[in-house]
Amino acid sequence: MRNFWLFFIIFSLIISITLIKNSTKKIEDEIFSIEESLRVLNLNYNDVLLEHNYLNSSERLLEFQSLYFDNELSQKNINEIKILIKKDNEIFIKDLEALQK
Amino acid sequence: MIEDNKSKIILEDYNNDFIYKKNKSNLNINFNRISFIFFIFFFISLIYIIHLIHLGSRKNSNLEQNISNTFRKELERADIVDRNGRYLAKSVSSIDIGINPVEIIDQKKLLVNLKLIFPNKNFNEVEKLIKKNKFFWFEKKISEENYERIMKLGDKSIKPEEKITRLYPQKNLFSHIIGQIDDDNVGISGLEKSLDKKLKEINKPVKLTVDEDIQYLIRNELIKFNNIFSANGSAAILMNVNNGEILSLVSLPDFDLNLRQKIEDVNFINRATKGVYELGSVFKTFTLAAALNEKIVEPETEFLDLEKSIRCGGNTISEYDLKIPSNLTAAEILVRSGNIGSVRIGQMLGLEKFVEYMNKFDLLDQMNFDIDEMGVPLSLRWGKCKLATASFGHGITTTPIQLAKAYSIVSNGGYEIHPTLIKKDEIEIKKKRILDQEVSLKINNILRKIVTTKEGTASLANVDGYEVGGKTGTAQKIINGKYSNKKINTFASIFPISNPKYTLVVMLDEPKTNKDYIYTYRDGSGKYKGTPFNTAGWTSVEIVGQIIDKIGPILATKYIEVK
Repeated sequence: MRNFWLFFIIFSLIISITLIKNSTKKIEDEIFSIEESLRVLNLNYNDVLLEHNYLNSSERLLEFQSLYFDNELSQKNINEIKILIKKDNEIFIKDLEALQK
Repeated sequence: MIEDNKSKIILEDYNNDFIYKKNKSNLNINFNRISFIFFIFFFISLIYIIHLIHLGSRKNSNLEQNISNTFRKELERADIVDRNGRYLAKSVSSIDIGINPVEIIDQKKLLVNLKLIFPNKNFNEVEKLIKKNKFFWFEKKISEENYERIMKLGDKSIKPEEKITRLYPQKNLFSHIIGQIDDDNVGISGLEKSLDKKLKEINKPVKLTVDEDIQYLIRNELIKFNNIFSANGSAAILMNVNNGEILSLVSLPDFDLNLRQKIEDVNFINRATKGVYELGSVFKTFTLAAALNEKIVEPETEFLDLEKSIRCGGNTISEYDLKIPSNLTAAEILVRSGNIGSVRIGQMLGLEKFVEYMNKFDLLDQMNFDIDEMGVPLSLRWGKCKLATASFGHGITTTPIQLAKAYSIVSNGGYEIHPTLIKKDEIEIKKKRILDQEVSLKINNILRKIVTTKEGTASLANVDGYEVGGKTGTAQKIINGKYSNKKINTFASIFPISNPKYTLVVMLDEPKTNKDYIYTYRDGSGKYKGTPFNTAGWTSVEIVGQIIDKIGPILATKYIEVK
């Protein structure tokens, strides 16, 4: 009888280990496939970011300015730039404090 | 009785012996069973051994892949981005396609298929290469789309190879900061050299403190004025006075990093960090700051009967502007850039204290910085005359980056800062105090007067809305150990002076006058055609004014935090 219980415990442990192992293997597979997808997406993101960097670089923006806007864009005096702050459906006008006191 | 027992014992021994024999026959049967099981295991092992030998004899493609992975790892290098995450240096993988003619099965079919994918390629050349029967590169850096199409052909003779290329999307813009790498992926200059190990180890990009937009605008202005004043070269540094972060560092001439040229011309040195120059009157600020901090003088302290020239050790020290009044306060000496007045302040301070403060400002020795290309200021033999000349910036050398650092310390309330190009998560804010807060405020007020008053030398930098303050420096250039007529023009500016945030240093190497350039006075009093003198007040100051005009709105709006 004692041997039977011993056998039963070992057998049930083996079965449970097999089941757990089987389920973790599935999770591991999923993790691997997600990691691979992330890697590919990351590579794509970096390529798109590089393209984006190039397309909106200062050099190109100034090229576009001379191409399409010519003299339409003019430089603003820093004192004319204000900050609009919306609070409780009210808009407050604040002076730019980044460079001044 | 004993004898009987003995005989009995012998009889039992005999019986045992008999039983033993019987057991021996049982053991023989067991041994056969074990042999049988052993044979089965041996047979299975034999199958595996044969399989292993077979696998071992095959050319292992996985092994090749591992080697290629190791090779790839050696070529890998982390990207470098600016403070806004824009790429300054990027490693990209590209695929080259090679053809091994020996493995071609159907040449005609292969060429027809390749013509469909690469219709513009010269296939006569390809056919000639195939006839040579040696491996050759068919196409380099192909697109991902073409790679997929070419691999779908399924021809064994086509050999793709992945390569890693270092790209510099900003071309010349950050050449002196980023530096170059050699063909073995080893950094040979700039951050590519100083961060070589780190770039190879880490996976995430290295973030710098520089701003691409600001760098572009400053470089553009510098190139423009480099041509206007026909300078040999120039440098500009924009630094945050409170934490030493460098937003822009430009040195001209520069070079396109993607071309991987071997730069041997000394004119291409990094003038901002490597170039050691006598920068002239910009040093007067430090003489006065040290004297104020030692409470030897106050801005209102009067200096009466100042000579127009004095002699020291057989040499004559004279005023640049002979119309300078003989009676001046300490503040006026700095505003009007008086040489003799500065000598007097230096003499009151004394040699020991003067050297101590110059060392505190980190002007006399090589500065620790993120790149290796750092100049070493010339060592000095200190004496009474050296103190006199160094007090007004004559005979004392340093690098523009050290000058920017010293001006940051003077203007930020007197706190030591460490200039840096690498963005840190936690910024060390204001640690060691070098000057009193009051001294810093007093100096800032005087620097502002240099820009706002007509006696000052920097009115062309008085950009409306930015409260610019600063000090000019025009120094004769030493060529072959002798002072020449060629000049180094410098303007060290601080803005906004009421709450200093940035220091901008612009230096021109051998600027010349330009008879056609039109100056627009900042006070609205009109225009002036032609550069009257090739001094800092007419060259570097004008550049600083133009730069602040361009970058000011970005600095004022881009980094603003609305609470």
